[in-house]
Amino acid sequence: MGVAITAPELEPVSRRPGPLRTALFPYALIAPSILMIAGILAFPLAMLIWLSLQHYGLKELIQHSGEWVGLQNYQAIIADPLFHQVILRSLIFTFTCVGLTLVFSTLIALLLLKVRQLVRVIVMSSLVFVWATPVIVSVDIWQWMFDYEFGVINYLLTQLHVGNFIHHNWFDNPVQGLAVLVIVVVWGAIPFVTITLFAGLLQVPSDVLDAAQVDGASAWHTFWFVTAPMLKPIFLIVICLSTIWDFGVFNQIYVMLNQRPSSDYFTIAIYSYRESFGVTQYGLGAAIAVIMVIILVFVTFFYVRETVKVAEIA
Amino acid sequence: MIAPGAAQGIRTETARAAAGTAVSFNILQQARQLVYDALGIAVAIVMLFPIYWMVATAFKPGQDILRLDPKWFPNPITLQNFQDAIARPFFLDDVKNSLIIVGVMLVLALAISFFAAVGTARFGFRGRTAYLVMIIAVQMVPLNALIIPLYLMLDGVGQTDTLAGVIAVYLAVVLPFMVWTLRGFVANIPPELEESAMIDGCTRFGAFIRITFPLIGPGLVATAIFGFIQAWNEYIVAYVLLSSPENQTLTVWLASFTTNHGPEWGPLMAAATLTGLPVVAFFLILQRYLAGGLTAGAVKG
Amino acid sequence: MRFRKAWFGVLFTAFAVLATACGGSGTGTPTEESGTLTVWLMNGSAPQAVIDSVNADFTAKYPKVNVKVEIQQWGDIGTKLDTAFAGSTPPDVVELGNTLVAKYAAAGALEDITSKKSSFDNSGTWLQSLTDSCTVSGKLYCVPYYAGSRAIIYRKDFFDAAGVQAPTSMDDLLTVGQKLMAAHKSDPNFSALYFPGKYWYAALPFVWDFGGDIATQSGGKWTGSLNSDNSQQGLNKLLSIVGPLSKADKTGDEAKQDAAFAQGHIAMIIANGWEVGVITDPKAGNPALKDKLGAFPIPSHNSGQTAPVFLGGSDLGVAAKSKHVNLANEWVAMLTGQKHMTDMATVGGVIPNTTSLLSLGTGLNAVFFNAAKNSRFVPNSQNWAAVESANVLPDMLVKIFTKQQSVADATSAASNRITTILNGGG
Repeated sequence: MGVAITAPELEPVSRRPGPLRTALFPYALIAPSILMIAGILAFPLAMLIWLSLQHYGLKELIQHSGEWVGLQNYQAIIADPLFHQVILRSLIFTFTCVGLTLVFSTLIALLLLKVRQLVRVIVMSSLVFVWATPVIVSVDIWQWMFDYEFGVINYLLTQLHVGNFIHHNWFDNPVQGLAVLVIVVVWGAIPFVTITLFAGLLQVPSDVLDAAQVDGASAWHTFWFVTAPMLKPIFLIVICLSTIWDFGVFNQIYVMLNQRPSSDYFTIAIYSYRESFGVTQYGLGAAIAVIMVIILVFVTFFYVRETVKVAEIA
Repeated sequence: MIAPGAAQGIRTETARAAAGTAVSFNILQQARQLVYDALGIAVAIVMLFPIYWMVATAFKPGQDILRLDPKWFPNPITLQNFQDAIARPFFLDDVKNSLIIVGVMLVLALAISFFAAVGTARFGFRGRTAYLVMIIAVQMVPLNALIIPLYLMLDGVGQTDTLAGVIAVYLAVVLPFMVWTLRGFVANIPPELEESAMIDGCTRFGAFIRITFPLIGPGLVATAIFGFIQAWNEYIVAYVLLSSPENQTLTVWLASFTTNHGPEWGPLMAAATLTGLPVVAFFLILQRYLAGGLTAGAVKG
Repeated sequence: MRFRKAWFGVLFTAFAVLATACGGSGTGTPTEESGTLTVWLMNGSAPQAVIDSVNADFTAKYPKVNVKVEIQQWGDIGTKLDTAFAGSTPPDVVELGNTLVAKYAAAGALEDITSKKSSFDNSGTWLQSLTDSCTVSGKLYCVPYYAGSRAIIYRKDFFDAAGVQAPTSMDDLLTVGQKLMAAHKSDPNFSALYFPGKYWYAALPFVWDFGGDIATQSGGKWTGSLNSDNSQQGLNKLLSIVGPLSKADKTGDEAKQDAAFAQGHIAMIIANGWEVGVITDPKAGNPALKDKLGAFPIPSHNSGQTAPVFLGGSDLGVAAKSKHVNLANEWVAMLTGQKHMTDMATVGGVIPNTTSLLSLGTGLNAVFFNAAKNSRFVPNSQNWAAVESANVLPDMLVKIFTKQQSVADATSAASNRITTILNGGG
């Protein structure tokens, strides 16, 4: 699909926008998005911070007036030994999930380029079906599959003589249980990352890759030195987003453990829920949410800076 | 193993090869293709297994659902669960509301995010970095933490229990991601293309619509599906904001299969299967635009 | 001059607002009352026939009032209730689980109806535990709606085959169970008494039967008492029975026990009355079991007596911010009144809110209805909901059943936690 270049013509002067219009044009383009996002989220975000500085229980919520406690909520959270455990566990869990998701998604996206059209549609449709299934329902199914007595996994593993898994409880040991949860989260995360990476791969001009191939580059070489750098903006996006999402994982753990996870399974989202909504202490809950955002900012700082840098170049 | 043009590359080699080895190269190529295809199918099977389990369960009668020795294929097959699911009161209302919310939101979201993506990818302007950082930062706030403030805010303007209120919230939640992702796709399109079109007589704006928009097809598809799924499957905001049963969405309908007696597994799986079908249908319609991007990759300046 | 006019305007508006706020809707004659009454009922509580019947009676009395009954889902109901009560348009009538009510009553979400108690049917014979759940600081904030109690559902055919009969004491229960286990030696999945580890509702009867309790209150201060000698004795008894008799998941809860029972490898479960329906439901269970099921109350350790059971259930409250307080109370009065309570028991099969109607239980239901007469409740504190969401009891039971901790240590830790939370701490 080449674009024909005809002899240059001079644009009629009246068509060219004046300097002021040109300057305002980008602002006009981003204005609707700012309006929508700020319009809906500005007040709630402000209220979130305001709530985090108050003692705000159910009674205060109903009467719309809280008790100002300044940074007391934050102090209480930071002083809680459970909190530090939770942060560490959340970070390890997040990095594991993001890492595995990236590896598998990249491999599948690359594979999608090589398969024939029919297989590609089949694979992508199955990915979309996985993506489309509501998290709560798919976790119900996973919970069932790993069930102590009715679980397909225990049954299969025993049938395949991997060992005796009858009545094996996967969640007795938190490390094993968290490993199962990693599988569930990664499984749910693969579709989106794969499809996005694949869409990005489609934009890689094939002539550049041809050139590399002719020059004798190996498959790994071609990927690492040619394809990946071209996909850098997209990789940055999916890594950043995956980190944000996996850090906030809640439903998978909550539902897998029958809505009663023990403290060995607390990630920050579960901890936040238990400490706030569970006991209707909205001030505490808001403080935890703010802390979560601060941690995320630190963790994704590198990627955000890279993204913005890349954005500058563009 | 990777390059999209590898098939071309191999064909070039084949042309150069001696006649005798041309046949074996062809077989090698076919074998390779078979391996890739088999791998692809394997991926589909592994990923789909839990979903298969859900769909199979939807067709099983109650007794076959929780068994110590699982039944791989539903036998006998029953449609009872589906009939049960559809017979729920307000089912059609829920379908209608979900479609309206998602449809309106998607159209608005794609338009708004496309403009913003173009604005930030093509122009340098004061406040651009701040805007981008804001876009990213907003996504780090957990939605659960904002529910109470959102409700109180909408309550203040009388927009609780309205579809418009829910659409507005979904838009605000989905836009940051869409802007950010589309920006990346737009950035990958060389600006020279738009400039050529402008030389041909297009306005700046026209160039964006006619040249850039089609070229980021794959990106649009990916973000459209993302937006669809986010809105289609969202529960807590829809549940808290919408109280009249005529206004509720399919996710609330889905939740109704879990009573205080626990989930009704058969009907729940049937309902979940039904809920997932529109998304798959949506994808199947759009997926050819995804593949259409293959030619986009061959654009030469 | 302008200033004074403005002031008059303000005063007049304030007066008008006050007048409408205080007047509520009880001033006109019934046929003149108009407006919309919003009622929130939980999914699965009342049969549609009963709701329709109540609405028919209500509309007959107040023809101009539009009643909107909205069924709520259990998932995230807490958040929905919180926002609804915080907003400006809460539902007028709301059904609340009996362990949640104290929290909302203490927060000022519900109307104080102490003075109107006598206007409700059977208020003198309301089930004590339900009434307790509605009472905070001596004031009544809701009306008991319906209850659920537990007994033991068993397979009559398994009992006959093993030559045993319904036990009359806890020791007898163990003996019966052991005979059943022996009769089914060849089945590795067989449980005589299927008891999932986190099933705290079923563990409490053992605690109460020996005189123990979750917590006691004196002088406004709560003290956790699961570590008392009596409580520990009860839990040890439970452990001695469940250990040899149950193959259920020690870390799981009772959600799947009905489906498991329907699979046919279980002789007894501790269950609610409505679980009989789930077990025999063609969609979820095994209808062939219909005639093979029996029920008997959880026996006491004293022969011939029964253990106190946990009384679940719901209450109906009127929102304090409701604009139709009187109409709301009337609607509640109708649903909880003699006529419709009878329907709830006979048509809905749930335990009615008054001891005077407990005789309506027929067949297997009679066992559960009677069990309600000997029932207890959780500590009546606004902070109890926090104890539940902190999973103190399920966690304690799991540690005991998996032998991670001794009964003494686990109960001690749990008691301390409960003391802290009930007295307002984290």
